[in-house]
Amino acid sequence: MALRSDPEKLLRQVMARFVREEVAPVARQVDESGHFPRELFHKLARMHAFGLRYPVKNGGAGGNATLYCIMCEELAQGLMSLAAIAAKQCLMATNFLHRFGDQEMRERYFLPALRGELVGSFCLTEPEAGGDLGRVSTTAVRDGQDWLVSGMKTWITNAPVADFFTVLCQTDADKSIRGLNFFFVPRDTPGVSVSPGFHTLGTRSTEISEVAFSDCRIPGRYMLGQEGKGLGALLAILAEIRAMTAALALGLAKAAYQAGFQYARERSAFGKTINHYQLIQAKIANLATEIWAAELMLYDTTRKIDAGQRPSKESMMVKYYATEVACRAADEATRILGAYGYSMEYPVQRYFRDARFLLYGGGTHEVLQTNIARELGF
Amino acid sequence: MAREAGSFLGVAVLVKQVPDSAEIKMDPQTGTLLREGVPAVMNPDDRLGLETALLLKDGLDASVTALSMGPPQALDVLSEALAMGADRGVLLSDRNFAGADTWATSYTLGRALERLGQQESLDLVVCGRQASDGDTAQIGPQVAEHLGWPQVTYVERLAVEECELRAWRRLPGLVQEVLCPLPAVVTVLASPVAPRWPLLDRLLMACRSEAPLEVWDAADIAAPAASTGLKGSLTRVVRTFSPKSGRVTSWLEGSAGEQAQALINELRNHKLI
Ligand SMILES: Cc1cc2nc3c(=O)[nH]c(=O)nc-3n(C[C@H](O)[C@H](O)[C@H](O)COP(=O)(O)OP(=O)(O)OC[C@H]3O[C@@H](n4cnc5c(N)ncnc54)[C@H](O)[C@@H]3O)c2cc1C
Ligand SMILES: Cc1cc2nc3c(=O)[nH]c(=O)nc-3n(C[C@H](O)[C@H](O)[C@H](O)COP(=O)(O)OP(=O)(O)OC[C@H]3O[C@@H](n4cnc5c(N)ncnc54)[C@H](O)[C@@H]3O)c2cc1C
Repeated sequence: MALRSDPEKLLRQVMARFVREEVAPVARQVDESGHFPRELFHKLARMHAFGLRYPVKNGGAGGNATLYCIMCEELAQGLMSLAAIAAKQCLMATNFLHRFGDQEMRERYFLPALRGELVGSFCLTEPEAGGDLGRVSTTAVRDGQDWLVSGMKTWITNAPVADFFTVLCQTDADKSIRGLNFFFVPRDTPGVSVSPGFHTLGTRSTEISEVAFSDCRIPGRYMLGQEGKGLGALLAILAEIRAMTAALALGLAKAAYQAGFQYARERSAFGKTINHYQLIQAKIANLATEIWAAELMLYDTTRKIDAGQRPSKESMMVKYYATEVACRAADEATRILGAYGYSMEYPVQRYFRDARFLLYGGGTHEVLQTNIARELGF
Repeated sequence: MAREAGSFLGVAVLVKQVPDSAEIKMDPQTGTLLREGVPAVMNPDDRLGLETALLLKDGLDASVTALSMGPPQALDVLSEALAMGADRGVLLSDRNFAGADTWATSYTLGRALERLGQQESLDLVVCGRQASDGDTAQIGPQVAEHLGWPQVTYVERLAVEECELRAWRRLPGLVQEVLCPLPAVVTVLASPVAPRWPLLDRLLMACRSEAPLEVWDAADIAAPAASTGLKGSLTRVVRTFSPKSGRVTSWLEGSAGEQAQALINELRNHKLI
């Protein structure tokens, strides 16, 4: 076998350097701006990052879930909102288009999205339907050859800047979740309106808002996937969505841990640097242990995905666990830094705020715990 | 052999793998570099060299070959060079090459460049000015001597015109614009734009077996053992350490004005102002 480099190691190295040189110096400014990080988004696009997990023959880089999660993890060490935006553009925003779009949609939307020229959004959540997707009430109704989409979506990441939406709709209320299907709605379709952005605790440079659809007429071929198979199509990528969320969590946990680790070795109190105190040591030891566990769980899960399995239980476990580790790491880092952990001058307060974003997407932890128990046959 | 105007330009870029200076640590007891566990990366100046070469390639018919001497893991910098846009990567790796000083290193690189030149036309060799670990800045000039080619050092910008090279050299406080016949060797300390980031699709491609990467050993470049590695070296590093430095505090006395004057004098003496 010819001597070749390890793509995982190399990708991690390149993304870590990208974070160090391009993201870290502007992270605070971007976060405080509250606006979509367009410049960094385009830099990632120019690296062909958004096609990372798509096959080469379809315009992608030929990567897999493991490589995708490595990239997400590294980006999350620099700036969670950028990482979340990139993660979304690589997967949820473009995946249905990739799997079910025709040639015209591929040329007009999918490839430009990989090039960063268009931004996509993924719309599941509604004012009355969060984790409980059975309550989705946005409808798609046939009208001749077309569909008419009507309803309201909320908490939609990137909606204020999006050029197209992948929208979960009900086509037959009698069928409940079997009536759920995905539709492709370009932003310029008459009847689409986007609310002003929400004010949120963390990930402040991801713009989030409501999207209202009022009799939006789209061609029949804009139904993404076979009728009645919408939920199945979502399930096909759900494990990867959860693994990706865990990767974002792992990256944030590492950044918070690193901040605490460094600070503890520099800050003196009562005659010695605080890393000499056992209670500080316990924090570092616990976090390092938990981060290692999360990392092993994550990449065990992604390797199963890459082997063609659907590790549903593992992906729920790692999304749940890694996110809790991220929240703890951010919490402990703000304690180790003392008052500086409370200062907007230091990034740990951002880790603390941003970690909370991970709690909801991919399943709230209450729902995940319930489902894990169910999968265990409990 | 002189190059014909407007024809194909063969460029080789020398890239070295070095310990990541952002991660480097010193052993506080011995003062030696702790290489263990420090990630190895592309020498920063060589990223500038690659960008300089790739900019030429963006504008004319050229091919860029990245060449490195090092252990098998140094292949990583060549994979990254491919991801940035290089057409081909060649790693010089052989037990005999180990422990080389700059003389033996430049001999070995020079032999490989000669072989490259026999395979396809070679008109220009681009090196970084300096490696962030060895720090001698000798390799570029020595390679030029080995090949018997003219050299232009400290280059920040390059243009190929007809059969000549126009280069802008950055010297302290001034820029010198020079013309030089091809083939030539240049060493760069800056690039007109920030080095491009590797493309992730090319990065993954570079890790596949069909990637245009080759490993050459001593036999491939017909380099006798006595001329390479430790045996071919004229110098030997006996020890690397950080010199002990002490701080000296001097107190400024007198009125505020006198103290200010004393401070200015001190700064002048140390050439700080
Ligand atoms: C920053 C951010 C970005 C988002 N981006 C998007 C996006 O791009 N697209 C999109 O579609 N959505 C998005 N969402 C919405 C997200 O997917 C939802 O928040 C999530 O599905 C949970 O829904 P909910 O917030 O309505 O909570 P609910 O489902 O209403 O839950 C409220 C509470 O009840 C608990 N609960 C609910 N059911 C159970 C149960 N069976 N057992 C025990 N407890 C239960 C929950 O755990 C939670 O504590 C985003 C949310 C945030 C915060
Ligand atoms: C582990 C180790 C052991 C060493 N042992 C010895 C020793 O025993 N005796 C001794 O004298 N020296 C030793 N050296 C130093 C070694 O000789 C130099 O690193 C080497 O000759 C290059 O010199 P430099 O690093 O100063 O490069 P510079 O001259 O500063 O580099 C200028 C440019 O030359 C090119 N270049 C340099 N090296 C390479 C390379 N390997 N492949 C491709 N391009 C290159 C690059 O473009 C670079 O930007 C050792 C170095 C290492 C890392």
